Amino acid sequence: MLDTVREIHTPEGVALRLPAAGPVPRALAWLLDASIRFGGVMLAGILLGVLGATGSGVWLVLLFVITWGYPILFEVLWHGQTPGKRALGLKVVAADGAPVGWMASITRNLLRVADGLPLFYAFGLLSCLVDPWNRRLGDLAASTLVIHVVPTNAIAALTVQGIATPLWPMQPGEQEAVIAFAERLPQLGAERQQELADIAQPLTGERGPLGVVRLAGIANWLLGR
Amino acid sequence: MSAVNGGGTLRQERFVARYQDEWREFEDWLQQRGELPQARWSGRPWTGLRDEDVPLRYRRICQHLALARRRGYSPSVTNRLQDLMQRGHNVLYRAPAARLRPVVDFVLNRFPRLVRAHRGYMLASLLLFVVPLVVTYVLSLERPDMVYTLMDPAQVANVERMYNPADHGHYEMRAAGTNVRMFGYYIMNNISIGFRTFASGIFLAIGTVFALVFNGLFAGTIAGHLQQIGSGATFWPFVVGHSAPELSAIVIAGGAGLRIGMAVVAPWRRRRVDALIAAGLDGARLSMGFFAMLIVAALIEAFWSSNGAIPPTVKFAVGALLWILVLAWLLLGGRGGATRAD
Repeated sequence: MLDTVREIHTPEGVALRLPAAGPVPRALAWLLDASIRFGGVMLAGILLGVLGATGSGVWLVLLFVITWGYPILFEVLWHGQTPGKRALGLKVVAADGAPVGWMASITRNLLRVADGLPLFYAFGLLSCLVDPWNRRLGDLAASTLVIHVVPTNAIAALTVQGIATPLWPMQPGEQEAVIAFAERLPQLGAERQQELADIAQPLTGERGPLGVVRLAGIANWLLGR
Repeated sequence: MSAVNGGGTLRQERFVARYQDEWREFEDWLQQRGELPQARWSGRPWTGLRDEDVPLRYRRICQHLALARRRGYSPSVTNRLQDLMQRGHNVLYRAPAARLRPVVDFVLNRFPRLVRAHRGYMLASLLLFVVPLVVTYVLSLERPDMVYTLMDPAQVANVERMYNPADHGHYEMRAAGTNVRMFGYYIMNNISIGFRTFASGIFLAIGTVFALVFNGLFAGTIAGHLQQIGSGATFWPFVVGHSAPELSAIVIAGGAGLRIGMAVVAPWRRRRVDALIAAGLDGARLSMGFFAMLIVAALIEAFWSSNGAIPPTVKFAVGALLWILVLAWLLLGGRGGATRAD
């Protein structure tokens, strides 16, 4: 499968599905964080500038904290997300899906230095592209993973009434596809609905708008309404 | 069995109708209690799912999820259960909250033990740092122009001016504000060097070796040069105070870097990635230790070493005492304690 979902088997015997995030959203999140950090350092520089030498000492300590501590503190104290990662819907988790701990976050963020070498995160990108779950070197050593936060929607009410029976017995995968189609129906345009429903023409025996209604009816039938 | 959604098994809508109250209770518990810090909910009345029933309910939801997947229920149901299960997993399996006592235990017992457990790496790191240091020190005493092969004349002039015995006022008699600025500088500069020394070890330890040798070369050359031109009387009292925590921290950072590098080169009886994870964990712990040592070093350097009013004999005495303390801590700390290293 061309899928980056990592399945973790928990002690309860069910699989936890972690959708690993690729280099592009992570780079964007990093850029966003970098601008926040840069802005913070600049602002602090202006405010502390009035305090002279003492101010510049405090500013250097702050620079240290923002350089090294920013990702660690945010990841551990804010559900595995820095502001940039939150904006991009990303999250750092341990390899078993548990929240990331102090030691793991420290490891992955100190090793950021190594990922950044020789220029522009070249080693990190290389590691990301080679690894099946897009882990950079720091993630490998810390045993962590950056995943997409998948929004969960409430169980959708089906919009089409009526029941139809399929012309052929259906495989489990086909049944799932038909139900997923019916649930996504309100989000699709009329043409796209028909385009998708036409694929299932052997099942419904109809094309066009009637095919859409038929297919949604089959979903109702499958769901036991 | 291909008739997954039909036949004798429960259909999706009825499955949801039958169990969704249990799911909602569990979700309420997560929102109101499990996912909040304890201070926010302890002591408040709670009429929902009882805390002691949570693990059982969690396992039930795991079972519902497995059933929903097996029966091919739609993503809206499996995703909801997946989400509940993921959140329950996070609450049940999260790392325990950090407390003060483990921190004290780490500083007094576990960190020295960890350093000693890596004595081979620490020794290698020590040699990589000290041998170039001593060699270049002796060489610069013998050959005064050697310093210019490593540093450009402007840098050399700057260092010479800093430790000039005739005019050491601008570094020793500086205002309190300057002390704070230098403290910030030492924090930013020295600790960043320590972290980079460790992190660059992941490239087969090459980065760490380079950093250690390079720092040794510089320190030895500058010390030898200053001694040779007659600035030793201002240089040694300045550096002796913070030398113990700072130099040992550099060696520990190097040892941690060598460890992570060797985990990649020679993982022994582990998979390479597992060896790397173990080395990364130890590396993070060692990093926290040398981080604390470098903060202490920066405090001493900024507020004690720079104080010109303290006579050199006192500075040497305190420096020697700190060496004894640091070495005793690293070599004896945590020996024979009740809590063993994990």
